[in-house]
Amino acid sequence: MARTLTINNLTKKFGRITAVNNLSLSIEQGQIFGILGPNGSGKTTTLGMILDVVAPTSGDYHWFSNTSNEEARKKIGAILESPSFYPYLTAVQNLKITAHIKKCDPAPIDEVLKQVNLYERRNDKFKTYSLGMKQRLSIAAALLSNPPVLILDEPTNGLDPEGIAEVRDLIVNVARQGKTIIMASHLLDEVQKVCTHFCVLRHGKKIHEGKVKDTLEELNKVEVSADYDHEHLKNLMYDFPGTEALESVDNSLLITLKPGFTASEINSHCFAEGVVLKRLITHTNTLEKEFLKILKDHD
Amino acid sequence: MIDAIKLEWLKIKNYRVFWILLGMYLFALTVIASGGVFFLEWLKSQGADFNGIDPTIVPIYDFPDIWQNMTYLGSYAKIFLAFIVIISVNNDVTYNTLRQNIIDGISKKSYLLSKLMFIALLASISTLFLFINGLITGSIYSHVWESRFIFDELEFLFAYFLDIVVYCSLAFLLALVIKKAGFVIVLLFLYSMMFEPILSAILTNAPYFRDTFWSELVAFFPVQSLNNLITVPFGRYVFMEIQDYIPFKTLAIALGWLVIYLWSVISILKRRDLK
Repeated sequence: MARTLTINNLTKKFGRITAVNNLSLSIEQGQIFGILGPNGSGKTTTLGMILDVVAPTSGDYHWFSNTSNEEARKKIGAILESPSFYPYLTAVQNLKITAHIKKCDPAPIDEVLKQVNLYERRNDKFKTYSLGMKQRLSIAAALLSNPPVLILDEPTNGLDPEGIAEVRDLIVNVARQGKTIIMASHLLDEVQKVCTHFCVLRHGKKIHEGKVKDTLEELNKVEVSADYDHEHLKNLMYDFPGTEALESVDNSLLITLKPGFTASEINSHCFAEGVVLKRLITHTNTLEKEFLKILKDHD
Repeated sequence: MIDAIKLEWLKIKNYRVFWILLGMYLFALTVIASGGVFFLEWLKSQGADFNGIDPTIVPIYDFPDIWQNMTYLGSYAKIFLAFIVIISVNNDVTYNTLRQNIIDGISKKSYLLSKLMFIALLASISTLFLFINGLITGSIYSHVWESRFIFDELEFLFAYFLDIVVYCSLAFLLALVIKKAGFVIVLLFLYSMMFEPILSAILTNAPYFRDTFWSELVAFFPVQSLNNLITVPFGRYVFMEIQDYIPFKTLAIALGWLVIYLWSVISILKRRDLK
């Protein structure tokens, strides 16, 4: 797989505060990479450095292979926290500037504006837009050059629920085209839903890196309930060879499975004993729990 | 190069404030540079006379003297161009579009180049405008009308161009350092029109400084060095000796300032964190 971004020992100090501390990362083509961390953990500073708007104190990074940084940036669509456009220009005029800098064809401007639902307002000045519309214009600007890499910083900040869902769909769609996405967020739900890989920053240090899938598969809990006598079901589950631990929660049972066992085996076990389950839910670990655990481990 | 100028063009093409300021500037330039006759008429009406000479017969618009006279007068209007540059740079800083431009894929050097091209474009427009204005004004008032006189001493137009480029580069630097446009405009105005001229006058004329090392320094001051490119030409009409050429030393000082300004801009851009 082709390497999209390599970061070597990147450090940024603001006076006495170290915002990013000796960070090394590598991101492969096609990954959806989430950078997690509490507020002030250095996520935005890191993105600023790899986009050349924050000067690193030490360390370096490079995009793709043998590409100068400004040429690389032309191939990156970036959506950062605050949308920055010329307020006295319309959406179309602003996007023409983007197309000019990125040296891309301005023809798809109408198309991307339709995609983000701004086509009707395309000839209105940027300063007349609501925050959500401004955000959507920066999405349009990022999509305009059909870039192989997308960088998102808190992409759903300030959006209404509909806008959040749209951004999420957009990320999934872009990811399906095999593009690389690098995303900073403190919304873990967001990362869990869309990311393939993630790292956790804290005080500018990388304290964890891994695949989202691996992290979520670690836990194997199943919740069951049936219209039978609770005790009967409990005994039944004690007899099930895959039960590691058992716990009653309200009217249902929470079973921790031994490694190698699955929820469908519980189902057939009960069915063989003549019990039809009303509810069978596989609990997966949430990134949120895992994240809090990682932070706690590093306290 | 073309890309750099096109970027600025896209930014100002539909920016009404820019066109209004440019229009006001060109109007002011016309009044200042070509309205001399009206000024002399006014002087006459006030009863002024130069050693018994009627002010209105002073041939300020005769070729080729017209070039030095008009560029000298026109140079006073350059502060309006500097305001345009300040507003343009300040927009990029306050709207965060400087950061956005860089994220979108230009280098900091290209940003400097695009603003420098913008400044050069403004200076070219002014120079061309003043040249055409000179031809028209000269055609009305000049007593000589021969091409060898008309196209003589055009080096003053070049000096005028350089004067604007260097002065606007100073405005570019100040607008980048101080992020409040209004403050920069007031500061540049006061410095150019009051602080430096007063200091220069003190160093040149006060008995304590006169003819010392300190008075030599005046020629190196940012504004004074530009003013020295085209000095007051009107002495010639009262038979005083004037500097009717562009001294090499002055040219070198002006170019030196240009290099200092541009170098400062690029090192600020490189070091500054844009957020």
